[in-house]
Amino acid sequence: MTTSRLDLGHGIGLRTRHFAQFMAGRPPVDWVEAVTENFMAPGGRPISVLEKVRAEVPVVLHGVSLAIGSVDPIPERYLAALQAVVKRIEPALVSDHLCWGAHRGQYVHDLLPLPYTEESLAHVASRVHEVQERLGRQLLLENPSSYVAYRDSSMTEWEFLAELTRRSGCGILLDVNNVHVSAHNHGFDPQEYLRGIPVDRVGYFHLAGHSDKGKYLLDSHDHSVPAAVWELYRAALHRFGRVPSLVEWDEAIPPLDEVVAESRRAAAIETEVLAPAERRLAS
Amino acid sequence: MTLAETQALFHEILTSAEPVAAERIEACFAGTPDHPASERVAIYANMYLWRLVDALRETFPQLVRYLGDERFAALAEDYLRRNPSDHHDVGQVGRRLAAFLREHPDPERPDLADLAELEWARHQVFFAPPAEPVGPDAFAGLDPASFSRTGLVLSPALRVLVLDHAAAPLWRSLEDGEPPDAPSPGASAVAVWRGGFDVFHTPLALDEAIALEGAASGDSLATICAAFTGREDPAAAAHAALGSWLAEGWITAVAQPRDVLAALDRRVARR
Repeated sequence: MTTSRLDLGHGIGLRTRHFAQFMAGRPPVDWVEAVTENFMAPGGRPISVLEKVRAEVPVVLHGVSLAIGSVDPIPERYLAALQAVVKRIEPALVSDHLCWGAHRGQYVHDLLPLPYTEESLAHVASRVHEVQERLGRQLLLENPSSYVAYRDSSMTEWEFLAELTRRSGCGILLDVNNVHVSAHNHGFDPQEYLRGIPVDRVGYFHLAGHSDKGKYLLDSHDHSVPAAVWELYRAALHRFGRVPSLVEWDEAIPPLDEVVAESRRAAAIETEVLAPAERRLAS
Repeated sequence: MTLAETQALFHEILTSAEPVAAERIEACFAGTPDHPASERVAIYANMYLWRLVDALRETFPQLVRYLGDERFAALAEDYLRRNPSDHHDVGQVGRRLAAFLREHPDPERPDLADLAELEWARHQVFFAPPAEPVGPDAFAGLDPASFSRTGLVLSPALRVLVLDHAAAPLWRSLEDGEPPDAPSPGASAVAVWRGGFDVFHTPLALDEAIALEGAASGDSLATICAAFTGREDPAAAAHAALGSWLAEGWITAVAQPRDVLAALDRRVARR
């Protein structure tokens, strides 16, 4: 299974602070990404807003609680709720994270890294199969940002992701900021990471800001996309070509215009990087 | 270590009140000389509580106002140690907070459990399924004989609470930034509901709360109205109550009791 690279353009995360503007009109974004669990409730304002937005622009559902790497069985309650919201919204793509976050029925509500071992690989691949069969569609998994590694890991994160997508058919949501953050925290070369990711498996990019905590970078999503992440985005465009992008902003969320401006900047950079190559191809 | 053993250790590091021995951490996790593994896993451990306390803050804003940030955080940490999240939606993590406060009451404010129950109900109805209320003439044409055969389907976005203290005035004082009155013990009922996307609550007389609870469990209109027999004019009281339920949009169907029960079954199955 290859990943269908949809021509979505450049979007932003749908956040409560901007609901009123989305209800009042159609903000200038190509598409939006919604955090799946925030829209699983059958009623109330959030799902009404999402249905209104869905009628106007493509929506991608992006989960945070699937816990694809947990050894716990995936709860039926979660799968049923995921299936229901996917059926209701008919999203362009469905994504979650390469992580774990539930243990013996308890959720820690965090995206914890996995040891990159053969055991983890077989486990996650079989769970991706389970979810994809249940949904009847491809799942995309996002590379996490991480602050700690495991002694038992026998392969790099990019090797793990590349093999996982080969075995399970899942797509990759490549979070450019997470590559930068994890590269800094673990001391690997982010360019090597990009080179290790199969080009035809990447469905979309995430772009976001992070915070410098001295000894480490924190994936905080609390300000604009920093220069280093824009630089890595350029490198990713060179490697992967035209890929939809999504700007995430989750803390200290600014007015909508400011988030949209980040998305327009992603579009401008894409044009700047890819237009010369596309002109050469056309001639 | 197996994947299961690794996850058990990481989970223990995040959730245990006691620190995990450094040797166990160093045996599993890799660090660097300037940033050892124990400091790295502590990043996750600190975020674990912060994230859940933050979710509780959003659900219980008046409790936060009353206690202040520091006392609320201490309460939340105590609660979370005994009641870790068992739902994929982090917004559900507070559903046992009122019960926790009943088991561990604040000696000066035993009514905080009731305030928490009210805030939790407000949170629940915000996300409840939508349902179209019946019109104002829903009871037109019902003759007295039909009363014994007819029941009500209430809005899924309505909760009736019977509390140990008057929580609504406490909520109002906190909302308005006024100093709250002393706790007011005694049974007190509140209706909480959503209208459009807004959440409301209002105090109820106890007999009206009993009538609503009966309606919610499939009682006929005759039984519902019998709840008002203690009033000076029971028929007028029942009429006024039914009229206000209609006006607030709390009734979504007027139906045979068996249809009411079928609607309740469907609602339970959806949960």
